[in-house]
Amino acid sequence: MKKILLIFKYSPKLTVGVIILLFLILLALLEPTINYYRLGGRSSTEIGLFDTFLPPSREHPFGTEAYGRDVFSLLLTGLKYSLLIGFTAGALATLIAVVLASIAGYKGGRIEAFITTIANAILIIPSWPILAIIVLFVRKVDLLLLSAILAFFSWAGSSRQIKAQIASLRERPYIDLARVTGFSDLEIMFKEILPNFLPYIFVGFSYSVTGTIMAETALRLVGLGPGDIPSLGQFINWAIYSGTLAQGHYLIVISPITFLILTFVSLNLINVGLDEVFNPRLRQVTGV
Amino acid sequence: MKRSIFSYLVNRILLYVLIFLISLSAFFFFINLVPGDPVTRYIQMLEQRYGLSTPASEIVIQKYKEVFGLDKGLFERYVSYMKRLILHQDFGPSFVAFPKPAIELILESLPWSVGLLGTSVIIAWLLGVILGTIVGWTRESKISSTVFTTGLVISQIPTYLLAIILVMVFTFWLNLFPMGGAYSAILQRSFSLRFILSLIKHAFLPSLSLIFVYVFGTMISQRALVISVLGEDYIKLAEAKGLKSSRLINRYILRNTLLPQTTGLALSLGFIVNGFFLIEWIFNYPGIGRLFMMGIREMDYNVLMGITVTTMFCVLTANLIIEFLYPLIDPRIRRG
Repeated sequence: MKKILLIFKYSPKLTVGVIILLFLILLALLEPTINYYRLGGRSSTEIGLFDTFLPPSREHPFGTEAYGRDVFSLLLTGLKYSLLIGFTAGALATLIAVVLASIAGYKGGRIEAFITTIANAILIIPSWPILAIIVLFVRKVDLLLLSAILAFFSWAGSSRQIKAQIASLRERPYIDLARVTGFSDLEIMFKEILPNFLPYIFVGFSYSVTGTIMAETALRLVGLGPGDIPSLGQFINWAIYSGTLAQGHYLIVISPITFLILTFVSLNLINVGLDEVFNPRLRQVTGV
Repeated sequence: MKRSIFSYLVNRILLYVLIFLISLSAFFFFINLVPGDPVTRYIQMLEQRYGLSTPASEIVIQKYKEVFGLDKGLFERYVSYMKRLILHQDFGPSFVAFPKPAIELILESLPWSVGLLGTSVIIAWLLGVILGTIVGWTRESKISSTVFTTGLVISQIPTYLLAIILVMVFTFWLNLFPMGGAYSAILQRSFSLRFILSLIKHAFLPSLSLIFVYVFGTMISQRALVISVLGEDYIKLAEAKGLKSSRLINRYILRNTLLPQTTGLALSLGFIVNGFFLIEWIFNYPGIGRLFMMGIREMDYNVLMGITVTTMFCVLTANLIIEFLYPLIDPRIRRG
């Protein structure tokens, strides 16, 4: 426990990132409760609950939008779904990335070359149009299927992050020691290597979460994907298509964008913070 | 020596051809294994949208399927698709402007995208490398760390969200920039000053939304590279020898960071293009991103497929060009 506190003291970036992310997660978790009390058990996406385009007031802190829905409640619902998809797809992508990167980093040689080529191909190719076409033509896309499709296109980035680390771990003497002692490949992977790169797995995870939320938001923005999952991207889509900007109600568009940017920034601050704490070489050079 | 460069280049070309063919085939089979064919779906969509109750006659559907080659088996369709694509660069007719071939629509809009995207990426990358080197070199100063932290935040903004913010502020609120198009509709295409100014004015916001984010993205990676090079012994030796800072930066630091930085650019191109599709849509810029969105609205299978293949091809070619630059940057590759 003390050690964890020390880590936070060591990197203000990590602390700020964790605080923002926890705040967002808390908001998302409390969404059902808050919206239940604010709307009296009605859905935040129900059309015509209030007057349209009410200015911000005590009752509606962010006002209401073109279809007479409370912006604050919609924001919470959107945040919940965006994070839910991001974390589900991110976890899936990280799992794929860890398994493949472990195999590649540890085995080396041809297997590594093969996996790297596939990962690079996915990274190089512009994947969003492919994603859009798949979502357009696969008729029933639910949350899980959408997450799986998103994960398929985002594991490559985090695998790249993770693999570089394993490659350096492979050369360390204690791995040789374990090998001489007669540990099997699997034992070495799970007992010796895995605990040492947990921070890097998290870095890979947050890369995927950012990537999948970005891709999902982009899909929803242009009106693709499951219409019954009102994520933040869907919210921006509603706002744009209802002429909110032309009528000058900027707050309605700015608030979901702010929530999304906060999510991305907090995840990145955590990444940079973890790197500062766990990458001694960088620490030495920068002298932070 | 010559042979090693040659075999390096041939190697790269083969790799890219392989990546192109494999991803294209994987995508083709996946999209064709999804139940339902594009023509039936297109007609269903028309029926829903315009409330037409007359079910499309079987003969018409059959005719369309023949034109689109959908009446054959999956493998046969794959072979004929690839044959048409590789031998004739033909994606088949479009729905958006039937019977105009999809490839014509794509070729009309491609130059706009390549021009705007290419210019923006090169500007962003160069500025980012310069800024990153300065920030890395002066890493102990207050200003440097402030710029770095600001960059950490800005580089995380998706380009398309920034595009929405820019449209909101500069077009709707301040009314400073035009909404949509590549040039003013009242002007004729010509080499006049007025036309060129109009081009720049229309391209400014879309390219700003890309440049603003990628300058800081490149700055952050360049800073990290510079700092890690600064920790090397040969830098200490060069400093001890009393080399001038300008020489140190040009010959020692930039030289050593250029290769990984170029690789970084190559790897992020695909990602940049992803965001660019939405930027074009938001600014109504007449490139392939906007055409793609039109294709989505009309469920235009051939246009969508064609755009995907074309962007894939362009990005892979750009990567290949970058890889051809490697031997110039890095003598180790040149000498094998």
